Amino acid sequence: MLAGQIVNGLVSGAMYALVAIGFTLIIGVLDKLNFTHPEVFMFGGYVGLVALPFMPVAGAFVLAFAVGGLLGVLTEWAAFRRFVGGDARTTAALSSMALGLIVTDLVHKVWGTEPLRLPNMTGWLAESFSILGVNFLNLQMVLLAIMLALMWGLHHVIARTRMGRQIRAVAESSAHAALLGVNVLRVNQAVFFISSGLASIAGLMLALRADTVSPDLGLTFGLKALAVMAIGGMGDMRGAVLAGLGIGVLEALMFHLGWGRLGELTVWAAMILTLLLKPAGLFASGHHGQEQRV
Amino acid sequence: MDRKPILSIEQLSKHFGGIHALKGIDLHITAGEILGLIGPNGAGKTALINTITGFYRADSGHIHFMGQPLIGKSLHEIGRLGIGRTFQNIRLFKRMSVLENVMVAQKTFAAHPWKAFWGFTQRSAAVDEAMQWLHTMHLADKADVPAQTLSYGEARRLEIARALAGYPALLLLDEPAAGMNETETEDLIRDIHTARKWVKAMMLIEHDMGLIRSLSDRVVAMDDGRKIAEGSASEVLDHPEVQKAYLGDDE
Amino acid sequence: MIADHLFFTCINILLAWSVYAGLLTGSLSFAQGAFMAVGCYASGYFTAKMGMPMLPATGLAALIAAAIAALVGYPALRLRGIYLILATLGLTFCIRVLLENMEFLGGIGGFGGMKGGDLPKAAVAVALIGLLLWLLSISPLQRVFDAVREDDRVAAALGIHVTAIRLIGFAAGAAIASVAGMLYGHYMSFVRPENFDVTLSIYVVLYMVLGGVNNLYGSVLGAAIMTLLPEYIRFLADWRPTVFGAAVLLLLLFRPDGLLAYRPLTALARHGRTPLRSEV
Repeated sequence: MLAGQIVNGLVSGAMYALVAIGFTLIIGVLDKLNFTHPEVFMFGGYVGLVALPFMPVAGAFVLAFAVGGLLGVLTEWAAFRRFVGGDARTTAALSSMALGLIVTDLVHKVWGTEPLRLPNMTGWLAESFSILGVNFLNLQMVLLAIMLALMWGLHHVIARTRMGRQIRAVAESSAHAALLGVNVLRVNQAVFFISSGLASIAGLMLALRADTVSPDLGLTFGLKALAVMAIGGMGDMRGAVLAGLGIGVLEALMFHLGWGRLGELTVWAAMILTLLLKPAGLFASGHHGQEQRV
Repeated sequence: MDRKPILSIEQLSKHFGGIHALKGIDLHITAGEILGLIGPNGAGKTALINTITGFYRADSGHIHFMGQPLIGKSLHEIGRLGIGRTFQNIRLFKRMSVLENVMVAQKTFAAHPWKAFWGFTQRSAAVDEAMQWLHTMHLADKADVPAQTLSYGEARRLEIARALAGYPALLLLDEPAAGMNETETEDLIRDIHTARKWVKAMMLIEHDMGLIRSLSDRVVAMDDGRKIAEGSASEVLDHPEVQKAYLGDDE
Repeated sequence: MIADHLFFTCINILLAWSVYAGLLTGSLSFAQGAFMAVGCYASGYFTAKMGMPMLPATGLAALIAAAIAALVGYPALRLRGIYLILATLGLTFCIRVLLENMEFLGGIGGFGGMKGGDLPKAAVAVALIGLLLWLLSISPLQRVFDAVREDDRVAAALGIHVTAIRLIGFAAGAAIASVAGMLYGHYMSFVRPENFDVTLSIYVVLYMVLGGVNNLYGSVLGAAIMTLLPEYIRFLADWRPTVFGAAVLLLLLFRPDGLLAYRPLTALARHGRTPLRSEV
């Protein structure tokens, strides 16, 4: 049972990580919090709801990434582009919150406020296998594999492509990057596209695993991803992944130990501890957390 | 006049990542004097002020101010001990008025939130006192305009007025004359002479050698994080090492 | 009916002010839901289960809220504002989960039995707290708050204990939200933890943004508009989140300070002096 729970935890952790990566990318590059992110995550599930009757799961993932990415670009345009300067961080955060409200409301209007079931999964994905008497779902393996592939892909893009270099340059200093000829706007759009696409995929993953979609998941899940980001270190992608997986497993263990709903507090308690002991983040390389104190 | 040092710095060191900003500085400021601090850009002059006042945490060394160690103290503790400063890049409270910028520095209220809440009963006394500082710095006619509308010279004088309003024992000025023309610089010299009466000692970072000569009792020169010369203004400015440090550096 | 609307307008004004109190020191908090819940449940427990009269119950509940605020705020307020946003969102979420698990307070099912909340009491609360905020705005403490908000390190160099000031703002906001919670609970007679969630906190912050962040009247305006208008315009009620969200988005694009973007007390009025003509 324990092994099964841990795998469960890893899958949850993978989702946390994907959403947290999105948050942390935008913090790292634009130094702003994107509060529309949780709703894009939520929307990914609905993309699945609409698409799955017509296409295989793989297609749904691609579609979710694309739709999420487009939502991200829209978010950048509507809630982030105009705001530069002193109060920009707060204004952008508030703006993206307002946009998030709109997205949720539109989802309510089209699909209602109650959770909806996904079409039944058939075929290979619905089956399970055992190792040493422990049951694993094929679906879980697929989700983990997808997460690994996405992480690797993201790492490759950031570390080895031209766009990745430009992203890193803007993250260091957008002013310097602009002087070097980088099109900061394109970089911002790319960052939003990637991070929102990942969130959308995570939303689809959750929907597949739980068999349902619901408009409320955005905030519940998304906020936890924010905490995961803080634990891993703001702007630190590796930290987000490690923290996400760690929290996923930790939460699963808490539920396994019978803490029930109080297990939900795990991630927040972990965040408070991190803020108290190592505010720059447990896994952070530290450059974002220096002269922070007054 | 008191000849004891009110600020003494021993072997002060500070580095950030690859940059070693302060490499074991020894320095002291005696009561009653204006110490001029010169050096090329990057010498560590502002880093020194930042470390003294608590904006930077020193890596090693000692700083004593009126008998109290400063290392390890927080920004507000150091401010309350009696050190006032201005900033190289002017950090006024832009959206507050000129008068408010000075009033917020009044220690009765700055250090005591409870008194500050009920302070509206002492409003006129506080306002009068703040106006006195504005008069001293020749800014009284701008009392109610937002600080961001001030000219360069006025903004710098406001920073000095704000620093003085807390009755500091030691005043640290970081390039107050930067970017000023001749008239503004003369006004500044006049106002620094006035400010001198209110504090026990001053340290003045400047590139304008004329200003240094006319205001400083003693001068220290820094280069590359180290002290390279110390003495009267003429002694230091004629010092071969100082001249070498400035070679190629425009004044 | 109108008494109902006005009552909820008062609640929302108080909640918006609780955000405003924190924002005065530069702290954007999303903990209104949490502190409203604390105020509601604590005061409700004191009145319904312990028979305390309303006034001391409110006071005690406010103290509890302020204490929790100081405790939670201390680690977060010393760091960048972004951490406070996270911590307060987390706090609201956690308080809700905690309340759902506290059976002696009714758990998920809810808690009831308090009564006595009505429009006159709400109006008195609004008047008193408004008065306090107004007194603050003409006092030197307001300037200290402004300085902390504008440039906290320079404020500290002037001798201001920035963390203490931030704690004061945050705790004051908590106390105000708890009063709102008390009124709400004693009016509704029955509440559930889900009434005090993150969405509420977000809405309240946006009320304040809509009305204007520069002064205490903005919160009144924003709360009043968003509470009263939907009652009289059907379309607004059905599409409240979208209209609201769009309004805030547009507002932030064109007038980032909100609808009322001025400081109501000019330097002249604040200092009680006539403009300088004869002085030099």
